[in-house]
Amino acid sequence: MRIAGWTIIAVALAALLLPLLLPWNYDQIDWSGVRAAPFSHGHLLGTDSVGRDLLARTLIGTRVTLMVAGAAAAVALLLGTLWGAIAGWAGGRVDEAMMRIVDALYALPFMFVVILLMVVFGRSIVLVFLGIGAVEWLTMARVVRGQVLALRHRPFVLAAEAAGAPPAAILLRHILPNVAGVALAYLLLTVPQVVMVESFLSFLGLGVQEPLTSLGILVHDGAEDMDVAPLALLVPGAVLVGLILAMTSLGERLRDRLAR
Amino acid sequence: MTLYTVERLGVATGGVALVHDVAFAVERGRCTALVGASGSGKSLSCLAPFGLSAGVASGSARFEGRELIGRDEVDLRPIRARAGFVFQHPLTALTPHLQIGAQLTEAATALGGARPDRRALAAMLDRVGISSPEAKLDAYPHRLSGGERQRVLIAAATAHGPRLLVADEPTSALDASLRHAIMDVLARLRDDGLGLLLVSHDLALVARYADQLVVIENGRVAEAGGVAVIANPASAAARALVAASPKLDDPAPLLPPVGGSLLEARDIRVAFRAPGWRGGRIAAVDGASLEVRQGEALAIVGGSGSGKSTLARAIGRIGPCDAGSVTWRGVALPPRHAMRREHRAAMQAVFQDPIASLDPQWSVIESVAEPLRYLMPELGAGERRTRALMALEAVELDPAFADRRPAQLSGGQAQRVAIARALVARPELLILDEATSALDVLVAGRILALLETLQRERGVAILLITHDIAVARRLCHRIAVMEAGRIVEEGPSAALVATPRSAAAEALVTASR
Repeated sequence: MRIAGWTIIAVALAALLLPLLLPWNYDQIDWSGVRAAPFSHGHLLGTDSVGRDLLARTLIGTRVTLMVAGAAAAVALLLGTLWGAIAGWAGGRVDEAMMRIVDALYALPFMFVVILLMVVFGRSIVLVFLGIGAVEWLTMARVVRGQVLALRHRPFVLAAEAAGAPPAAILLRHILPNVAGVALAYLLLTVPQVVMVESFLSFLGLGVQEPLTSLGILVHDGAEDMDVAPLALLVPGAVLVGLILAMTSLGERLRDRLAR
Repeated sequence: MTLYTVERLGVATGGVALVHDVAFAVERGRCTALVGASGSGKSLSCLAPFGLSAGVASGSARFEGRELIGRDEVDLRPIRARAGFVFQHPLTALTPHLQIGAQLTEAATALGGARPDRRALAAMLDRVGISSPEAKLDAYPHRLSGGERQRVLIAAATAHGPRLLVADEPTSALDASLRHAIMDVLARLRDDGLGLLLVSHDLALVARYADQLVVIENGRVAEAGGVAVIANPASAAARALVAASPKLDDPAPLLPPVGGSLLEARDIRVAFRAPGWRGGRIAAVDGASLEVRQGEALAIVGGSGSGKSTLARAIGRIGPCDAGSVTWRGVALPPRHAMRREHRAAMQAVFQDPIASLDPQWSVIESVAEPLRYLMPELGAGERRTRALMALEAVELDPAFADRRPAQLSGGQAQRVAIARALVARPELLILDEATSALDVLVAGRILALLETLQRERGVAILLITHDIAVARRLCHRIAVMEAGRIVEEGPSAALVATPRSAAAEALVTASR
């Protein structure tokens, strides 16, 4: 758990700070060193097929990927918690209707929907945020609703009502703090999923636009040249796998600890 | 003839000795009961020799002449097959997807017995008093009531023809009137020649059925002997146990005087939506009326499912209420969601499950001070804390508990915190919804004593919900008996206990004798 936490922090810090120290910009072309090998022409990891520094691009790609993941996860948290809390708290018909909407959205082949959105509205990073977030909140809504439903019939909620607490206060002071831990754990499990989805979309060419890049695009480009320049695939690949593994294990540990 | 003899029994888990030098014997056709508070080691003493609980047993436990202690699991199994075991939780002990017949067959054959035919299976169910046993063989567990499930478990435990039946708190999860029905089944098996080893904390129950009594405290035998022990306890442990559980023939309690009318509920009706897609509504409370006067304690007594909790919650405006009126000092109370703080301040509630009654993330002092925040918003944070500390003192809880979380409290301590929270805004009526039922006997006894003190010193009126008419008699001026959503009988405690007129009241009184 500690290793996972430090991995995430180290990768995030590197993606944030290291680009400032590098002599190369991510979209800067080194005409003298196109397809440079590692440790040549002043490029630590070499350059890609148009002469851009691979280390700089990997760092920027990580930054973009983390940004998309963070934003989509935030959308999921906000929408999912709100939706789930309202459904669970209201109960009855309202709950029924709200959860059927969630079921209906679940039934849509979401990759297809995102791809359609991209095709219709054109590629934009905002759309990637929205599209992924709009799908990932469904699980969050179900988790939160289940928790709220279980909590609202607990005697301490009744006691709060008897103590004169208005519904909003019960929701804010009693229900949500008790849901927060579980929601946070699921949030940590959502982030790696978002990273995967974003990478997949980018791999298909539907995600972030050139010259900006993400880990998914880097893996895609690296895969084309993997027989001559294996590092172009391995480095972004390793960062991606490391991030996903670290977040998943952290999330699962947190969830198990809170489930007890 | 002696069937099972235990001598110098010790049980240790992880190097800590929990049971020391326990001795008892079970004779054929007799019942020996191990009695004690929870954590006293009575279940351990009973199960450890058979290898059914954690811990290493030492000493001697001879069953039909064969020594149990020191054998490994493989050796133990054929000996254990000569005994049957019944545990506490009838609702979860049956496999949900198997029919009753299949489960009984499994129980009968698992230890190498012959496969019983349908007639034999039906006879097993008949023996434990299940009506229309043939039909029940094809039923799934969820179709059976809690009492029926416990009967099936007893049938399963005796399906392979054991000589000894070990029953670990077989009735604790059931309500009062069912307890006796189940104990009658066990008593009949005992009369058929089975040795019965009973573990219980319910002295009144044990007194009626056991032949030998062993009182256990802190893992040691405090007292042993015939049932006379209960009438005339010699040890402090036995005296504490006897004193803790109220009995119907205790001397009449001294109750505080009663004032004018405080609360009046007229024709309360509550219905719930029936489960399943067909819907419809089930009446939980069907036109109940009652009155509570100043400083008076009124008990609503009834079996589980009689609607007593639903009625109390409807009156206290913390549960649904479809029809009927509640007046407080002659002024009508608004419906649940329109209650204002001046209405709420008058009535506070304490619930059955003490740990679940407290928000797990809040400290004790925060929980206790919560009503003040809403009911007396004019108080500052410092004054709230002072009053909360005073409430803790009133429930005899050390101020050092103030910053603990519910997870760090025992059941009794948590219930004291819940009572302190109910008292902090100085209500005139306390609704106690089975406030002592989930607690161990000794702890429940202490909570009852605390409630008596509060009643005397503060003159607070009480609406007590309970299934135990002896508890009701100890605390309350009047008792209302509820059955199937209606109040079937009401009267002064002493008169109602002495001469119950309705069948429901009579059953409750018999169950507590």
